Amino acid sequence: MSVDRSPELHMIAPLAHRVPEGSAPAAVASAMGVVWAELDATLSPILGPRGVAALWQRSLHLAAAAHPWLSAGQPDGGPPDAAALVAALGGRGRDDAVAGSNRLLATFHELLVSLIGASLTERLLRSVWGPASGAPGRGPTAQDPTT
Amino acid sequence: MTTKVTIHRLATGVPGLDEVLGGGLPEFSFNLIAGQPGCGKTTLAHQIMFAQASAERPALYFTVLGEPPLKMLRYQQQFDFFDSEALNQRVRFINLSEEAMTGDLDRVLRRIVDAVAEHAPALVFVDSFRSVVLAGEGGAHPHNTLQQFVQQLGMLMTTWQATTFLIGEYFTETDANPVFTVADGLIWLRQSVQRNSMVRKLEILKMRGQPTLPGLHTYRIGPAGIQVFAPAGLAAPAPAGGGAGAPPRAAEPRLMLGVPGLDAMLGGGLPRGYSLLVAGPSGSGKSILAAAFLGEGARLGEPGVLAAFEQRPGRERNLVLAGLIERGQVSLINHRSQDLSIDEVVHLLLDEIRRLGARRVVIDSLSGFELALAPTFRDDFRASLLRLVTALSDADVTVLMTSELEDRYTDLRFSPYGSAFLTDAIIVQRYIEVDSRLRRVMAVVKVRASAHADELREYLIDADGIHIGAPLPDQEGLLGGRPTRKRGPPRPAEPGPG
Repeated sequence: MSVDRSPELHMIAPLAHRVPEGSAPAAVASAMGVVWAELDATLSPILGPRGVAALWQRSLHLAAAAHPWLSAGQPDGGPPDAAALVAALGGRGRDDAVAGSNRLLATFHELLVSLIGASLTERLLRSVWGPASGAPGRGPTAQDPTT
Repeated sequence: MTTKVTIHRLATGVPGLDEVLGGGLPEFSFNLIAGQPGCGKTTLAHQIMFAQASAERPALYFTVLGEPPLKMLRYQQQFDFFDSEALNQRVRFINLSEEAMTGDLDRVLRRIVDAVAEHAPALVFVDSFRSVVLAGEGGAHPHNTLQQFVQQLGMLMTTWQATTFLIGEYFTETDANPVFTVADGLIWLRQSVQRNSMVRKLEILKMRGQPTLPGLHTYRIGPAGIQVFAPAGLAAPAPAGGGAGAPPRAAEPRLMLGVPGLDAMLGGGLPRGYSLLVAGPSGSGKSILAAAFLGEGARLGEPGVLAAFEQRPGRERNLVLAGLIERGQVSLINHRSQDLSIDEVVHLLLDEIRRLGARRVVIDSLSGFELALAPTFRDDFRASLLRLVTALSDADVTVLMTSELEDRYTDLRFSPYGSAFLTDAIIVQRYIEVDSRLRRVMAVVKVRASAHADELREYLIDADGIHIGAPLPDQEGLLGGRPTRKRGPPRPAEPGPG
C-alpha cells in the first residue's frame, strides 16, 4: 500500500478537517460523502436543492475529465447521487480517492466562484471549508492548489 | 399622554425614495413592488434590505420560482450596497422553489411562517410573487386561493412584526388584483423607451397613512443601486418665512454681470436670486455674456456652476471660462446622455451648487438642455423649465440662461419655448444691418420689480469680451433688422397730386 502513496498528495480543506492524512480510501470516501451532505445542507436553503444538484452535476462532469471513474454509477441526466460517488471513491486506491475527491471539491468551489464570486463563495462555504485564515488544527484552506 | 400608536418610518436607503414616500416606509407595512421585467424590482428590494437589515433586525429574502437564486446573487453583488459578509448573518436567503413547485400555497406559507418564527426577521421579502401566483394556479390544491394566501401572509407578517415586500411583475394597475387591496403600499416601477432613450419612472400608487409625492418620479440604476429623483421643489421642506408671503427680491443687493454698461442698463445690476434669460441669434455673444457673468462672480469669490449640455464636447470654449473651470471656480456639468429627466438635471445642479457653495448658475443653452432631456420630457419642456427655475430660485442662486433665437424681424420674441414669463429678467440681442455691415444691438426687456433702461444699445465683441456702446438715436426700425436713418422733423405737407 505504501508504494503507491505520493507524499505530495494532500487532502484539501473540507476533507482534511474530517480525516487524517493517510486514511484508508473508505475513510476518504465516507468523508467526501459527509462533505457533500454538508454542502447540500448549506447551499440548498439558499440556492434550492435543484440549484445545488446542478452544481454537483457540472462539477462531476468537469472533474471526470481527469478521473473518468468519478462519474461511475451516476444516473443519466438525473440529479447526481452522493452514494454512487462514495462507492466509486471507496473502490479506488488511496491516492485515487484523495485525488478524485480533491478534484471534485476544487471544481465545485471554482464553479461557485465563477458564478457568484470569491467573497460570497467564501462566506457561504465557510462552515464547510473552514475559516479562510487557517485556524489552529485546521487543514489547508480552500485556496490551496490540488496538484 | 397620547395612547395612539406611533408608526415608525424606516429609511429605505434608496436616495430620493424616502422623500417620494413621504418620509420613509411605515414599519410593519405590507408592500408590493411591481413592474415589468428589467425595471429593477429585485435591485430595489436588495438595496432596501441591505440598508435596513442589522444583527438585531435581520432580513429574510424568500426566492420562489423565477430568477434562480444563483443568478440573482451573481448580479446583485455587482452593486455597491451588496455585502457578502451579511449573508447568513443579518441577511438570509431562503429558497422555496420545491414548495412552490408542488403548487400547494399552504406549504409555501407554512415554510415562510416557520422561517419567520425561527429567525424573527424585521424585514421579509418574497421574490417573485408572480411565481407564487402561477404555482397556485397550476397546483392540485385550489382550495387555498391567491387571495387567501395574500391575506394570510399579510396578516401573519404584520403580527410577526415584519415589514414585508412582495416583488411581482406583469401586474396591470387596472386589474382588481386582490393583492392591491391587502397591500399597505404599492411601489410601481416602469420603464419606457422612446427612440434610443430609456427612461425609468417610479410611482407610489398607495402608501397607507403617508403623504406620498404623487406622480411619476424618474430613477436611475447605477453601480450604487437605484437613485430616485424626487422633485426638488416639492420634496424640500418649506423654509421658514418663505413661500407665498416672501417679500419681492428687488430690494435685495444686486450682483454685477461683469459687462460695464450692461449693469447700468439693468438698473444697477441684476437683483440677487433672479433668473435672467439672454436671448439672441447664433453668434450674438450669449455665451460670452454668460462667461463674463461667471468671471465676475469668481472675481468676487462667488463660485459658479455652468450647465453646458453640449452635444459636441471639447469644442473650443471661451478662454476666460476654461481658466475658471480649471481653477475650480466654476464647475462644469456637461451631460450628453440624452436620457435625462428634469428632476435629474435639477439634482445634478443642486448637488454641484451645494458642493461649491455656488451663487451663480449658467445654463448654456436651453436648446442644448432640451436635447439632453429624454424625448418623452421634451413635449413638456415649458413645465420642466418652470420646475428648474423654481428649484434654482429656491436654492438662492442667480441664474443666467441663454436661448438661441432665430432672428425674426417681423416680431419680437424672446425664446422659442414661450418661457420668457418664467424668468425675472430678459436681455435680447439682435443683428442689424447698417451701411452694409452686420452690427449687434442689445436691450434689457424686463427686470421684474425694478426700473431698467429701455434703450437699444450697440455693442462690440473683442478679445476682452463685450463692450456696450452708445444707443443709435439716429436709426429707427432697429427691430426690423434693417434700420433706416431717421429723417428730420416732418416737412410741411406738399400738395398732393391732382
